Amino acid sequence: MKKFDSGKWNKYLTAGLIMTGLALLLGILGFFWTPYSTTAMSAAEKFAAPSLRHLFGTDNFGRDIFSRVMKGLSTTIVIGCLVVAFSAAAGILLGALTGYFGGLLDEIVMRITDAVNGFPSILLALVLISILGNGKQNVILALGIVFIPSYVRIVRSEFIRLRDADYISRARLMGVSRWRILFVHILPNIFSVFWVSVMIGFNNAILAESGMSYLGIGVQPPDASLGKMLSDAQGYLQNAPWYALAPGLTIVWVVLGFSLFSEGIRRRV
Amino acid sequence: MKLFIKKIITLIMTLFLVSVAAFLAFQIIPGDVVTSILGTEATPEREEQLREELGLNDPPVERYFKWAGGVLRGDFGRSYQYSKNMNEMMPVAELIGDKLPVTLWLAGLSMVLIILVSIPLGVLWAKSANRFLDAALGVITQAAMAVPSFFLGILVTFLFGIVLKWFVPGGYISYRESLSGFLGYLLFPALSIALPKIAMTARFLRNSMLTQMQADYVRTAYSKGCTRKRVMYGHVLRNALMPVVTFLGMIIAEIVAGSIVVEQVFGLPGIGRLLISSINNRDFPVVEILILYITFVVIFVYFLVDILYRVIDPRISEK
Amino acid sequence: MIKIEDLSVAFDGAEVVKNVNLELKDGEILGVVGESGSGKSVTALTLMGLVADTAEITSGRIVFDDVILREAGKPLDRALYRKYQGAEMSMVFQEPMTSLNPTQRVGRQVEELLRLHTDFTKEEIRIKVLETFEAVGLKNAETIYASYPHQLSGGMRQRVMIAMAVILHPDLVVCDEPTTALDVTIQNQIIELLRVINEKEKNSMLFITHDLNLARRICHRVAVMKDGRVVELGRTEDIFEHPQEAYTRELIEAVPSRLKRRTSVFRQKYREAGKAAGFEQSGALCAGQEGECLEQAEAQYSEQRGERQEQEDAGETVLEVRDLSVYYQDGSNSLFSREKRHAAVKGAKFTVYRGESLGLVGESGCGKTTLSKAILGMNRDITGEIRHSTIRPQMIFQDPYSSLNPAKTIGWLLQEPLRAAGMLDQSLRLSKADMEAAAYDMLHRVGMEEKYFHRKPNQLSGGQRQRVSIGQALITNPGLVVADEPVSALDVTIQAQIMELMQKLQQEMQLSYLFISHDINVVYKMCDRIMVMKEGKIIEIGETEEIFAHPKQEYTRELLGEQK
Repeated sequence: MKKFDSGKWNKYLTAGLIMTGLALLLGILGFFWTPYSTTAMSAAEKFAAPSLRHLFGTDNFGRDIFSRVMKGLSTTIVIGCLVVAFSAAAGILLGALTGYFGGLLDEIVMRITDAVNGFPSILLALVLISILGNGKQNVILALGIVFIPSYVRIVRSEFIRLRDADYISRARLMGVSRWRILFVHILPNIFSVFWVSVMIGFNNAILAESGMSYLGIGVQPPDASLGKMLSDAQGYLQNAPWYALAPGLTIVWVVLGFSLFSEGIRRRV
Repeated sequence: MKLFIKKIITLIMTLFLVSVAAFLAFQIIPGDVVTSILGTEATPEREEQLREELGLNDPPVERYFKWAGGVLRGDFGRSYQYSKNMNEMMPVAELIGDKLPVTLWLAGLSMVLIILVSIPLGVLWAKSANRFLDAALGVITQAAMAVPSFFLGILVTFLFGIVLKWFVPGGYISYRESLSGFLGYLLFPALSIALPKIAMTARFLRNSMLTQMQADYVRTAYSKGCTRKRVMYGHVLRNALMPVVTFLGMIIAEIVAGSIVVEQVFGLPGIGRLLISSINNRDFPVVEILILYITFVVIFVYFLVDILYRVIDPRISEK
Repeated sequence: MIKIEDLSVAFDGAEVVKNVNLELKDGEILGVVGESGSGKSVTALTLMGLVADTAEITSGRIVFDDVILREAGKPLDRALYRKYQGAEMSMVFQEPMTSLNPTQRVGRQVEELLRLHTDFTKEEIRIKVLETFEAVGLKNAETIYASYPHQLSGGMRQRVMIAMAVILHPDLVVCDEPTTALDVTIQNQIIELLRVINEKEKNSMLFITHDLNLARRICHRVAVMKDGRVVELGRTEDIFEHPQEAYTRELIEAVPSRLKRRTSVFRQKYREAGKAAGFEQSGALCAGQEGECLEQAEAQYSEQRGERQEQEDAGETVLEVRDLSVYYQDGSNSLFSREKRHAAVKGAKFTVYRGESLGLVGESGCGKTTLSKAILGMNRDITGEIRHSTIRPQMIFQDPYSSLNPAKTIGWLLQEPLRAAGMLDQSLRLSKADMEAAAYDMLHRVGMEEKYFHRKPNQLSGGQRQRVSIGQALITNPGLVVADEPVSALDVTIQAQIMELMQKLQQEMQLSYLFISHDINVVYKMCDRIMVMKEGKIIEIGETEEIFAHPKQEYTRELLGEQK
């Protein structure tokens, strides 16, 4: 991509890339291989403190926390990516149409968007889950729907800003078709703004997903999930603080890495 | 005034739409409520009787208006799950009644914390010529924004509750017993909600002030012979705060969401836990009312922010 | 007496002001003229102690009545400067809207000076402010006092800025392009006001401008700056009548003045033919008011043309506008506000002939842009008739920074009109190679090198962008081109180049221009005929010379104003 090989390099990008890269690596690896089985229990090694043998220690069943974190990371990353892909695609389409054409469709979509935006996103996702039922697919669908308005808003306001730009007026004068104006003339110009919101969206999706699984709604066992681990670990804070710290800090790591990365990109544009 | 009325009408319209949406959503849910309430005791006769009792046999439109009419009169319906005594189900109003203050206090306290800390912090940050302080605040706020509130709650419990023993985890004090004890206990969950938002708001204010410092009118103020301090507080601050007011209004929804999640962490008897358990138990009358209620709070705060904005920005009140 | 001695200012090691020497005598207006980037504003801001902290004084000093305010190698003494700023030296900025604090009443903003520099009581302060408001020609001083900047017009805001600048009777007033953001008639009033203030207060003024005509009107002496240096300094008459430096001459020549007017070749021939056939010089025939007589003027004009056509064979109409009114909706069309329909253009009537340039002048808000949009089909809420002989008239926009799609290359941009035409009409479809060849050809014609073909707009200068913009408008050979202030955003020397290019292409391609401008001098240079608009109505049409020599309407006279 052209965007990434021009402009100034900065330390936000370096830090962000390292953190995100490491998290992605572990997450992808977690699909295929973990140091220990995530389900193998061992009464002998209950609440083992972090050591070389168990990097993040073990939990109340003697399971290796590092392996479980890797699994949870895979789930989180997959959900984050799919949610962003779904809501960003829908957001571009709706935002482009409503922003450029305005009119009745715009009114309706904006009313709905306003109402949804006013409502806490995690709660809306919870309500949707209570209708759709639990499970990974439904979490993706629910969060995907919940985050559409945030993209619609940004894409729409960019299209509104650009639809009256001189170069778009000129394209109309030339007789360029509407679809071509929308997707060939305007769309490439919103990417710098859109990128940033996609990255923020990815973080929000991860936070919402882990929040939901912390509350016990959403991703269900046997699917591993960082939020669920946290809520399991909370009861053992006194004897095994590492049990809670491992998944919690992992979430912070991913989110921080990604926001540093997006900050780095933002500063270059 | 005309605008005021217009705003009120929009507010009512939105509430109406949300109530319709909330009501409809629970009509299309797979699975029969009646079977899930009766569980093993289900017989066709009892199911039919209960259905009649709950009014589930009426057409949906009629049921909506019956329900909405009830809500307007203050009758919030009855829970499917909790019973008051042997032959009566718990009215939703009673169920929510003493849980509401907990959540409202928590959200309010968080907001107060956010405003009290972030605004001085943002101003200090914008003013600081100290490079080290500037960079340090940059890193700290960036990190604080990445911590989800439930994990922050766990960290707070661990640090202040278990290590420092400033409070007893799970040792909730009801506001009926002692308001100061209640607020003292609430301070820790409120901190968990507020910290990431404080970071966000302080960053936002700092950037807003730095942008305003570049504005032409700042140059004019200097050309009059104003000191830097006078320019900052006399000219820049008010202009820089305006977008912050909008920003604070926008995070209200997130604060409400945050309090619902954080209630779980600290075991607070607020509406958050009720909502989660009602969702899990498919206790829809409760869920519907809670959704409506949260929407109302959020929209009402937006409304207040909007009015506040008109007061502080003369350019808008004109239109 | 204020002295700038051997001043050099650098940003990041690059000097933008180089060894500048300027001296301001009491009661004198010294003009500093130059194009953007010449260092004139940085000089003024350094003098005022307002230049950015990143600026470094690399040589020289600033002396104010024997006090050294600033010296190379020493940091800015803010406390010392503050005693002078506002009280002894003040500044009027270019943009009165953004230069005032948007959230403070203007009275308070003016008061601040008195609170900072005097120990007047509250009541005395108020009285002084109101007095000063009246002195700078602000009627209803009480109302103004309590207003916010956005409630005032541009001219009023600039008067408020001037009130601020003179309220403490400083010895030095620096004016940085004080009229550039204003309409012509307001411009004249503000210039007049500054002159009166200078005569009354006997203060020194440093008048920064890019507009040579303006400098000529108000300044006693003029310094010409280029690339950070003062290249010429002298009495205004001397500079304008006997410029010594090549650059000064270039600047003066680039200003479209009446002396070097050019007429399209077509028009020239037409006029000669007319003379040969025994016709009087046609012109602004409208002696009375609007309406009927305008119609007569047009009718007579086209009649003369018609007769000449036989000899000339070139007088075909490109655009005919009849009884055109253009409407716009007022307010949002939501539930709560009733729709209001206003006519922004009322009963316009005129014709554009092949190969001519018709100028359209008037102040902002008079409906020029609305009219041009209607002609281009961008505004469809109209009554009356617009008849084109070309399929798609094109437009050249004012701002070269927003008229080219920043995401595309120059080559792509030049080919897009051809692609669009091909998509609309199969018969116009060109092969890839043909389109590319046409784009390269257009690049040459607008005077740009081939290497720009693969560049993006942000790698081009304003003048280059405007060239590409012209190329994009002309590549489909549209016949009629609406040019909306095509040179207003450019520096004077670039302006001259672009106008020359437009004239060259007009001849090559037999183009007709509808040329919109607020700058009467530019219109004079470019146009064969001029149309004057006021409050949505066309109040006068006529041949350029005729309009300038014998304006029939009071308003036209005002527009031409002192600029003649």
